[in-house]
Amino acid sequence: MTSGLGSLLLADARLPVGGHTYSAGLEPALIAGMPAELIPAYMTARLRTVGLVEAAASVLAHRAVGGDGGAPVDPRALEAVHEELLARSPSDPLREVSGMLGRGLVRLAARLRPDHPAVAALRALGRAPQRPVALGVVAAVIGAGEAETARVSLYDDAQTVASAALKLAPVDPVDAAGWVLSTGDVMTSVVAEALAVRDAADLPAPTAPQIEGWSLEHRNKTRRIFIA
Amino acid sequence: MPDTTRRTPSTEPAAGARAADASPAPRRAMRLGVAGPVGTGKSTLIASLCRELAAELSMAVVTNDIYTDEDARLLRAAGVLPVERIHAVETGACPHTAIRDDVTPNLIAVEDLEAEFAPLDLVVVESGGDNLTATFSPALADAQIFCLDVAGGGDVARKGGPGIERADLLVVNKTDLAPHVGVDAAQMVADATRARDGLPVLALSQHDRASLGALAGWVRQVLADHRSGVHVPRDPGPMAPHTHADGTTHAHGGAGDVHEHA
Ligand SMILES: Nc1nc2c(ncn2[C@@H]2O[C@H](COP(=O)(O)OP(=O)(O)OP(=O)(O)O)[C@@H](O)[C@H]2O)c(=O)[nH]1
Ligand SMILES: [Mg+2]
Ligand SMILES: [Zn+2]
Ligand SMILES: [Zn+2]
Ligand SMILES: [Zn+2]
Repeated sequence: MTSGLGSLLLADARLPVGGHTYSAGLEPALIAGMPAELIPAYMTARLRTVGLVEAAASVLAHRAVGGDGGAPVDPRALEAVHEELLARSPSDPLREVSGMLGRGLVRLAARLRPDHPAVAALRALGRAPQRPVALGVVAAVIGAGEAETARVSLYDDAQTVASAALKLAPVDPVDAAGWVLSTGDVMTSVVAEALAVRDAADLPAPTAPQIEGWSLEHRNKTRRIFIA
Repeated sequence: MPDTTRRTPSTEPAAGARAADASPAPRRAMRLGVAGPVGTGKSTLIASLCRELAAELSMAVVTNDIYTDEDARLLRAAGVLPVERIHAVETGACPHTAIRDDVTPNLIAVEDLEAEFAPLDLVVVESGGDNLTATFSPALADAQIFCLDVAGGGDVARKGGPGIERADLLVVNKTDLAPHVGVDAAQMVADATRARDGLPVLALSQHDRASLGALAGWVRQVLADHRSGVHVPRDPGPMAPHTHADGTTHAHGGAGDVHEHA
């Protein structure tokens, strides 16, 4: 049934969903004085914290709209995931940017599969659903499995850090690619953790308070190149 | 006023609306892009348009900035539109991406303004000053102005490129400076006109009232054509492709590609 194209598309920075304006918190971190040598550690720290929460939310959203088995769409389950995710997103600027990225995905889904019931359930969450929930729905709609969805969610986060690093710090692009590659073991274990979550109420809640704090400061910066 | 039925922004397929635009009486505001190299006077031009047209048209502006919202601030400070009608979009250091390869953040900003201030007649989108080849995708702009200035040198118009050759209007700006920078403005306009195969060229200066009136007149005409279905969004055309270190592919090209990426 799947050509594998769904997850490739979602993992591709060229997908038109507005991702190029987001640095996954790297710009705020560097402005706050985090040394560039720590970027690989930053990448990993994100995967273990916000990365896990978001990947698990994506998986639950994927399941809520039918999942790998093609079950009927459950709008209430989708709403529950979205609410649990919001409850784990204390930073207003980060919720906002997630909503903006989510909106890009809604736009994509609404264009590609306007009549799909999963897309209707996603739209019912409001005009700007959080990105992980939108990602899970879009993944299901375009034929990516739940494990691929979790991996895409994490991979996209790591790549967002890597590509922002090239604009923000003197980094050799090959090194940045190497950082992403070297997160492999972490990613594998976080994917497994995300897939093990059965219920929205059990959505993991590890936080990265420092990243949240930096995001608040970033909002008021006048010379920044990324929104968050 | 034409039919101004509003569509729900988040559910609205923007490029899908293109087909509708070909039919008479489009249901939404005209989206006018303003592109051109850094510092050629795009924000000032937009402020002039607001001054000339805001009394007769319901307008809003989206700025694209490399650094936060400087252009939006400039326009808000100019006092030509209520500040809440000016939204800033940050482009992640990729101004050309935001108007061409991935227009999502700009479309979101335009749709927000359209929803907030319905019915709007005109939304102007300022591109973050980039290079000689960045042009708007027709998925974002119904019509576009490409803005050069005499200070950029007299040869620029002759060098060509998609914006210079095929934007709906080419502005040769700051003609008041021509004598000071050793440029023959009339010659520059003549060169540009030759490169554009009949498309309009406007010599503009803040110190030339008549030229500002002509600019507003052009916008009125395009808006009328847009509403009647005569104006069809046109793509000025592709740029030569190249790949960025971050793996994203953009298209640029022509002798004038002088853009920088951080
Ligand atoms: N002499 C003269 N100066 C002008 C004219 N129009 C704009 N300027 C000046 O040119 C400078 C740049 O103008 P902006 O409107 O900020 O140019 P811009 O293209 O928006 O710049 P970026 O957004 O940074 O790319 C400012 O100092 C303006 O005052 C004009 O007609 N004549
Ligand atoms: Mg400007
Ligand atoms: Zn770029
Ligand atoms: Zn480029
Ligand atoms: Zn460029």
